[in-house]
Amino acid sequence: MSTKEQKERIELLQGTLDLLILRTLQLGPLHGHAIAKAIEFRSDDVLQVEQGSLYPALHRLIKRGWISVEEGTSENNRRAKFYRLTAKGRRQLAVETSKWDTLAAAIARILRPGEQESES
Amino acid sequence: MRLCKRMLEDLEQDLRDHLEMETQDNIDRGMSPQEARSAALRKFGNVARVKEETRAVWSVVWLEQLLQDVRYGARMLLRSPGLTVAVVLALALGIGMNAAVFTFVNALLLRPPQGVATTNKLVEVFLHDPKGSGVQSYLPFNYPDYAYYRDHSKSLEGLMAFDGDGQEAIWNQAGTGEIVHGQLVSGNLFSLAGVNAVVGRTLSVDDDRINNPRQVAVLSYPFWRQKLGGDPGIVGKTLMLDGAEFSVVGVAPAGFTGLMVGAAPDFWAPLTTQGRFTHEDQNRLTNRHSYWLIVAGKMRRSGDRKSVQAELQVLAKQVYVAQKSADDFQDARVYPLTLVPGPFRGYVGAFTGGLLAVFVIVLLIACTNAASLLLARATGRTREMATRSALGAGRGRLMRQMLVESLMLAGIAGTAGMAIAWTTARLLLELKPADIPITLAIPMDWRVVLFTVAVSLATGVLFGLAPALRASAVEAARVLKEESQSGDRKKARIRNALVVVQMAMCVVLLAGAALCVRSLINANAIDAGFDTHHIALARLDPGNLKYTPEKVNEFYARLLERVERLPGVISASYAEFLPLGTSRSEMSAGKQLGKDPSAIRVGVYRVEPGFFRTMGISLLRGRDLTQKEADSDKPDAVVINETLARSLWPGKNPVGEKIALGGEKEMSQVVGVVKNGKYRSLGEGPLPVVFRGTIPAARTLVVRTAGDSRTLLGEVSREVPIVDPLMVATGVQTIEEYMALPLFPARTVGWLLGVSGILAVVMTTIGLFGVIAYMVSQRTHEIGVRMALGARRVDVLKMVMSQGLRMTAIGLGIGLCAAFGAARLLSPLLYGIGANDPATMTSVAIGLGAIALTACYLPARKAMSVDPSVALRYE
Repeated sequence: MSTKEQKERIELLQGTLDLLILRTLQLGPLHGHAIAKAIEFRSDDVLQVEQGSLYPALHRLIKRGWISVEEGTSENNRRAKFYRLTAKGRRQLAVETSKWDTLAAAIARILRPGEQESES
Repeated sequence: MRLCKRMLEDLEQDLRDHLEMETQDNIDRGMSPQEARSAALRKFGNVARVKEETRAVWSVVWLEQLLQDVRYGARMLLRSPGLTVAVVLALALGIGMNAAVFTFVNALLLRPPQGVATTNKLVEVFLHDPKGSGVQSYLPFNYPDYAYYRDHSKSLEGLMAFDGDGQEAIWNQAGTGEIVHGQLVSGNLFSLAGVNAVVGRTLSVDDDRINNPRQVAVLSYPFWRQKLGGDPGIVGKTLMLDGAEFSVVGVAPAGFTGLMVGAAPDFWAPLTTQGRFTHEDQNRLTNRHSYWLIVAGKMRRSGDRKSVQAELQVLAKQVYVAQKSADDFQDARVYPLTLVPGPFRGYVGAFTGGLLAVFVIVLLIACTNAASLLLARATGRTREMATRSALGAGRGRLMRQMLVESLMLAGIAGTAGMAIAWTTARLLLELKPADIPITLAIPMDWRVVLFTVAVSLATGVLFGLAPALRASAVEAARVLKEESQSGDRKKARIRNALVVVQMAMCVVLLAGAALCVRSLINANAIDAGFDTHHIALARLDPGNLKYTPEKVNEFYARLLERVERLPGVISASYAEFLPLGTSRSEMSAGKQLGKDPSAIRVGVYRVEPGFFRTMGISLLRGRDLTQKEADSDKPDAVVINETLARSLWPGKNPVGEKIALGGEKEMSQVVGVVKNGKYRSLGEGPLPVVFRGTIPAARTLVVRTAGDSRTLLGEVSREVPIVDPLMVATGVQTIEEYMALPLFPARTVGWLLGVSGILAVVMTTIGLFGVIAYMVSQRTHEIGVRMALGARRVDVLKMVMSQGLRMTAIGLGIGLCAAFGAARLLSPLLYGIGANDPATMTSVAIGLGAIALTACYLPARKAMSVDPSVALRYE
């Protein structure tokens, strides 16, 4: 099977998918498949997104008003739904990003105490 | 949610598109179409799950779970229909009785009178003597004060008034007379209260000018329909009322009966026409000492009761200063407008509050019943709960499940309770004595519905909480491992405590009920001081016909002559009014004229000769009044009762002594002494009373017969128009019917407490029985072991009984203590029985004990017949 060919992949932490979608949409409106591809591509295929789980997440974000949806035409001339970051979503992204940074830094401090001390 | 709908409708297509794109990508990378498709699917994950998860994003989770709980709960309730019906029935009765009492509280104290618009802006105003206390310190208005307030108040949009006593008038039509009831109202009343005519118009301010009153009338809807056949052309026609022509201007809407409880007028006429109806007091419109008006105002849109109160207080001072009289200062007090006039709200509130308290106890008993039955079932459901919890249901979810079930029970009970309340409220109205001309509408409006819903919810939470907490606290692992369902100790303790509480509450209710019922029996047997059988009564008032005093006397003499000749009649006489009715008159009596500090207040009854004989009042000394003494303008001779004799001439024979009556210029001679009776209420102590002549034109005819007084009623009414075709007898009734009024409070309370007591006993019995029966079923195994080891059947019986009886004894003990305290509140309503009557208390305790014994014996007998071999195999 193809798993062998693929690089080692990491399961996504719960909730981080939302953050990744928001970040991806910051670059411009995309349709569902494109979002999945973009996340895989930008993480050098390290992050394994089960593509289906994208859809509950997208719907969740729409419900919260962080992204909006509009009809458009995909690159191969098919009608598709394009998802666009809203102003509210942009603010949320900033909040989530700084939260993530704090979390990552904290985890890093615990995992590599020496390096952290030398840094500070 | 249109967005939600659109997103979900397109979901299927979106997912298909996604998969197609991924497949295309894979083909582009060089896979075969089949391989590309399966790789895309693998990468996508479970399509069905994705769809479900996506839908879940939009659905309101708790609502769906709630629906699940409700469906599940309904299945559980249907699985044990017996239990469900028992709980629902008990709760429905409890909730229903509370709602029924609340219907009255609502109709009397909370909602504005029916048919009145602009409701929350209406207030009622009373004069108030700041030095006085209680109801006596409040007065209705006199006309001059009313006019001053009406013309000077700025915080009120208008001030209306009506005559609080109502007017009886004779309606003459085609040669016959009929008594009709009227209410005099200020011209602005209909427009301020927002009551519009269904035919013609209502009264206007122009109808009610003091110097030019118009003789016009607005008819009540029932009067127009029933007496005038709903004549559509009624406007402009005239009615002969008390010999004066009143022209009809309109008909009031169906539900409107005026602004005060008790009155259901046939017509409304302007206040300023009062001279046409009241003959004794022609100058009521100028007299400051005639207090006859109930006054109500409509506040301005921005106004509130406080500012109105403040302004009226200022007006009260202005009136006082302007008058410069020696009278005491009279304040004005503002109340919200409801059927019960403001000053009486406290009394009605206390009475209905007491009733509510009683029925809340009934409801609590029903609650404890429901709680203990549910607790018992919860034990049986321990495994179910444990399984659900092992499958991942959170504690909150389990608790919610149990609460949903109890709230469903309470909801069904509440709905049934509404129906019970509706019927009960109407039954309660039936208890009202027939001769009180009160038509009370008891509508079930939103307040009643809200109250019932709130009570049902509270009930559901109350009885559901304990089982819910217990059920959710299961330790899944332990329960599932243990094979036998050993009854939880803690749970049993809660149930036992509930039974004890129930028993205690039951004792309180039953003791109260027993006291009231016994007192009711006493009250029926109480010596009113006159005979309460074989007497017929009729009210007559020729004053309306403007006869001279000679003509009035002639009428009465001829009527008496005819009535006395009726078959079976022993004697007949007249009185102004009878004791124990709604009318009362008092004056001072002493041994010297003028100011006499030793004078006492005595009740006064104006009677004709033969009154004592007819009423069965025994004459102890001296003689009755003679006709000459009775007809005299001055009270030359009087008859007094024992109490007055004893307080003025202790130890002496008062016959022949002189007595000074308040307001008289000459002394009167005591010619006789009669036995004491009851005058104001059946519960009172001995009161001093004077019987004298000088009887006014409005009288009560009393007729004594050897046979049934009921057969006499028709004959007496027929004699009146034979003597004078324009006269009508009203209030024709037997003395038994008359006595319904003084017996009314005791009767109502007795009935209600009796019903609540029976309910309490039934519910407590079911509760006790249920708990013991459940205990036996839980201990079948243990009992089997005991019997296999040689325990005799009697020992088993003893064991089961002793547990039930222990709970009963504790409950009885607590209950009796509480009952002694609570009975004190009842004492003003009790006749001839002490509040702590030991016989009543003992019999309540013994009776309940006996019932408890039976409730325990039935399950105990079942326990006794346990077959050890079967029981040991049992689980």
